Amino acid sequence: MNVDEFIKIFGERFPEAEVRVSENKMPHPKRRVWVEIGRERFHDAMKFIKELDPKAQFSIIIGIDAGDRLLAKYHMEMFWEEGESLSLVIGTSVPKDDPKLPTVTDIFPSALPYERENQEFLGLFFEGIPDPRRLFLPDDFPEGIYPLRLDETGIKPEMVKNAGHPYKIKKEGSK
Amino acid sequence: MNGKLEYWVKVPVGPIHPALEEPEKFIITLDGERIINVDVKLGYNLRGLEWIAMRRNYIQILYLAERICGICSFSHNHTYSRAVEEMAGIEVPERAEYIRVIVGELERIHSHLLNLGVVGHAIGYDTILHLSWLARERVMDILEAIGGNRVNYSVNMIGGVRRDLEEKHVRAILDMIEYYRNEVMPKIEEIFLYDPTVEARLRDAGVIPKRIAIEYSAQGPTARGSGVKKDVRYNEKLSVYPDLGVKPITPKEFTGVVKGDVFDRMVVRVGELWQSMELIERAIDQMPEGKIKAVPKDNTLLFQLKKAEGEGIGRYEAPRGELIHYVMGQKGKDVPAKWKMREPTFPNLFAIARALVGEQVADVPVAIASIDPCLSCTDRVAVIDANTGRKRVLTERDLLRLSIEKTRELNPNVKAKPEVVGVGCPRGGVL
Repeated sequence: MNVDEFIKIFGERFPEAEVRVSENKMPHPKRRVWVEIGRERFHDAMKFIKELDPKAQFSIIIGIDAGDRLLAKYHMEMFWEEGESLSLVIGTSVPKDDPKLPTVTDIFPSALPYERENQEFLGLFFEGIPDPRRLFLPDDFPEGIYPLRLDETGIKPEMVKNAGHPYKIKKEGSK
Repeated sequence: MNGKLEYWVKVPVGPIHPALEEPEKFIITLDGERIINVDVKLGYNLRGLEWIAMRRNYIQILYLAERICGICSFSHNHTYSRAVEEMAGIEVPERAEYIRVIVGELERIHSHLLNLGVVGHAIGYDTILHLSWLARERVMDILEAIGGNRVNYSVNMIGGVRRDLEEKHVRAILDMIEYYRNEVMPKIEEIFLYDPTVEARLRDAGVIPKRIAIEYSAQGPTARGSGVKKDVRYNEKLSVYPDLGVKPITPKEFTGVVKGDVFDRMVVRVGELWQSMELIERAIDQMPEGKIKAVPKDNTLLFQLKKAEGEGIGRYEAPRGELIHYVMGQKGKDVPAKWKMREPTFPNLFAIARALVGEQVADVPVAIASIDPCLSCTDRVAVIDANTGRKRVLTERDLLRLSIEKTRELNPNVKAKPEVVGVGCPRGGVL
């Protein structure tokens, strides 16, 4: 399936989705499909992608803090068995005061580590995630602090718990 | 031997040596000798590069990207450049693309030779380590001649390359390929394709079936070893690779069967060494004359990038698998709004964690080494009995001895002492 066919099929099923195609100017031009879709239809769209190509490969979740909204972009590689693959970036966005997205681990099990990564770094939560533990940050990292949010001010002094240091940090003036 | 729980032993493997580029921790639950569950914990060497990059401009990030990893330092800044070029619509001159192909394939040769040696070390055949690492010196010398450094050679630039390939470099590369063809590759093939002990040790270890490889998005030689015909250079029509005739390599072309075990992954790496040499030769033949940078001056380039807006994705087949960089530009600033990368070891780790279930502990070092992270040189392993709380610590030496003893059981004719030589960190030490 090539880019035009995909856009036609996808556009018929999800008419509200914004679809655009970018083309880079390499010696062999490559067209990439960018899709923007609302949170409500997002899970259905991912399911549809899996129906179109049961062997579609999930590559990455890019979580972005864009002011009052959090963006999530999912890169998929489709139809890689037919030679030239279709590179698809499907994106959605959520308001910052309700940062919740449906999990896609039921469709693409390999999305789990990326969802865990976005939960701890960006505070973008996934409903129904099978394993919500932390992956990168230490277990004693303070709750409710998301390091990659742009309005993040950092850890408050009373939250510092010695950070696993073997020696206690002495207070000023004490022996 | 009363309750069922008594058999279960939790073995944390790692977090490992701080000198490595990727310390990670595998928590392995054991039932006797058999692994029943594997859990991965990352982040022991988290450097917060995305956060640092928020204060760097596009050209400064290039050098940051290069330092993500010492082994694939070209791959990272190549992929980052592609993402920025796609975002800003910069057209790369054709000669630059050919130079990128040549340096990229040289890097693949050195990375694969390194991994072949590490796997040899993990099964206790240090001769393989010394042979392949000695051969690797030659390609490192070439990379040093081209870029000025053994690692972090900074050949790449947004919109082209910084260093041209001269006549003397081309001569040296062709000499090197001749040396590899005649001296090194016959030995490597004899070891990894025909040696019965190596085959007995690597066959059926760390098996990733094709279905699991697709489900867990395994990348690079790990996926191709399981028969997944996926190669970004081929699937993405990347750069000038279609002109050079690149094809994904699976073990089927060499051995006729695809099992998805460590042996198959090594066969893929041996095949890719041949392929890389062929690609370099063709690229040298076809390379046109011309300029090597789209924008000659860095200031002009930064000014151009300052006006750019939008987003771009760069993909490249690094020696270990698919590498993705994402860049989002913001108008009026020479700092990207977002830079995000994903390296191939990340999905491969979860694929191998899934594949290790049901395997023996002795296969852990070689199975993890086969996906090409650096965990085979695990510093120490604590074995904790869940019920009694009794703790014994396995060092790297012990873990390797287990592995060597298994090799010895398979081939009792090996005369050398069952001592582990060359203990240390094979990946971190040289870098």
